[in-house]
Amino acid sequence: MKRLSHYIESAAAILLALIWISPLLFAFWAAFHTTSDAVNFNIMSAWTLDNFRTAWDGAPWLRYFMNTFLLVTIVLIGQFFFTTLAGFVFAKLEFPGKNLVFILVLMQLFILPEVLIVENYAMVSRLGLFDTLFGVGMPYMASAFGIFLMRQSFKSVPIELHEAARIEGCGLLGILWRVYVPLAKPTYLAYALVSVSTHWNNFLWPLIVTNSPETRPLTVGLSIFGAPENGVDISIISAATIMSVAPLLIAFLVFQRQFVQAFLRAGIK
Amino acid sequence: MIAEPFVVLKDVAKRWNGQLGVEDISLDIDEGSFVALLGPSGCGKSTSLRLLAGLELPDEGSIWIQGRDVTTSAASDRNLSMVFQSYALFPHLSVAENVIFGLKVRRVPRTERAAKLANALQITGLEGLENRKPAELSGGQRQRVALARAIVAGQKLCLMDEPLSNLDAKLRNSVRKDIKKLQRDLGITVVYVTHDQTEAMSMADKVVLMKDGRIQQVGSPDDLYNRPANTFVAEFVGAPPMALIESHIVDGVQPGLTLGLRAEKISIVPSGEGRLSCRVSEAEFLGSETLIGLEHEGAVGLTVMRPGLSMLPVGEHIDITFNDQDLHMFNEAGERITGH
Repeated sequence: MKRLSHYIESAAAILLALIWISPLLFAFWAAFHTTSDAVNFNIMSAWTLDNFRTAWDGAPWLRYFMNTFLLVTIVLIGQFFFTTLAGFVFAKLEFPGKNLVFILVLMQLFILPEVLIVENYAMVSRLGLFDTLFGVGMPYMASAFGIFLMRQSFKSVPIELHEAARIEGCGLLGILWRVYVPLAKPTYLAYALVSVSTHWNNFLWPLIVTNSPETRPLTVGLSIFGAPENGVDISIISAATIMSVAPLLIAFLVFQRQFVQAFLRAGIK
Repeated sequence: MIAEPFVVLKDVAKRWNGQLGVEDISLDIDEGSFVALLGPSGCGKSTSLRLLAGLELPDEGSIWIQGRDVTTSAASDRNLSMVFQSYALFPHLSVAENVIFGLKVRRVPRTERAAKLANALQITGLEGLENRKPAELSGGQRQRVALARAIVAGQKLCLMDEPLSNLDAKLRNSVRKDIKKLQRDLGITVVYVTHDQTEAMSMADKVVLMKDGRIQQVGSPDDLYNRPANTFVAEFVGAPPMALIESHIVDGVQPGLTLGLRAEKISIVPSGEGRLSCRVSEAEFLGSETLIGLEHEGAVGLTVMRPGLSMLPVGEHIDITFNDQDLHMFNEAGERITGH
């Protein structure tokens, strides 16, 4: 009985995994075949790279890649900066109303980012950051998730290390930089992975707040490239999609083990 | 001219939301001396040390180091170093980086740093381990890294918070001697917190015995052992501790007092000739001597020391005697009656 349920569980897991990965497999299949071969699932048909050539010439991909890369970098740097400082304050300093403020920060986790799109749009416009990469990244910098994560990580640092650093002459920021940040390395790594993949894939917000090819990230560029007005060619769109997700996908395959370890070490699963 | 004591605590008090922290701590520490803060856990010895270190600020009183009022100064401005019970080594830094952490923070030039590091490693016998991480060291080695970090900057005052409690008994003995030698060689002033009276008595020039946040007695190990200020000190110091006897059960002594008596001052005599007749409650063989625990109404902790292996059957009745001049007298409040 036990063995049977074990088989059923495994089978269900494999089935789920297949369903999960099937769109990616299809995109991969389609990207390397002509449209008619692709939709007919002709196994014997010839492989081709033409789709990639056509897709690459169809839009300023290099620019889009650059934009996405810059965007995730800006967001990540901003998040590291703000979540480190805020996480440290919530973990180790005392001030009146600390718990109330922390609850307010955590409430941000309950609000879907999409709900705030209009408000964020207005804010970014008021700041004159509309259609800039900084404007795209800014609303995500003070991430509640990141603050919470850093707080947990900093809280686990033994107080003696803090005190030893104080006696050795460190100021508060010195202690943060020399003791807490190095000790929270696994958390930073795990958080960076989450952040980069989230913002690499983010679509709705950049679509709204960018307006020109100079600031458009990959996701928006891809959707415009694949929009029905431009004519639907499933193979070319698949090729463009594979190109867009390739860097992240390859990075994941290469660093799979480190990814999982980082998450285990950071204590989030 | 009277030299100003190196460290002075004046009427220092620290309270935790009504809970007792420490109260009325006044203490003078001479330069180059080794002072042990001794007491059972929760007596406030660690709190006193943390107040001195600047990790806590006192609610009352003042603290002076080298003639300077440091009551509200930051820990980093007090020119002292500290060894923590857990050693507090930075796990992400190598031995060398741990030792020079403070020098780096204080922006000591690179060449001077290297010289001081080499010196500190040599003194503590850590050469060759510079590039290890704390996780790759044994307990004793970690302890020495903590010591090296404490002495590398050449601070004159070093605070130690139970630095030996995480070592095994054998290592503890040798490190105890090392620390004492280090203190004497470098001429530094050490304030040492411990709950282990052997450590305090063997290392310190001056022992401060505390209980419930108050100082019970300050004095040399000899003072504490031979002239305890009250019954708490009498019962805390010494192994076995002093026996306390209600004076009315002993002939020839004024009643209403508590008498203190050391085990080595008691002798066993043939029955009928003793001053007290007791029942043997336990016998403990320690190698060079045997401790015989005795029971008598109105007395606690009566023990006789007999050389070598000399067990007595439990339940046997024996007579003991002692001299009047070996008795310590305490009044009803437990305070020592002087002049005796």
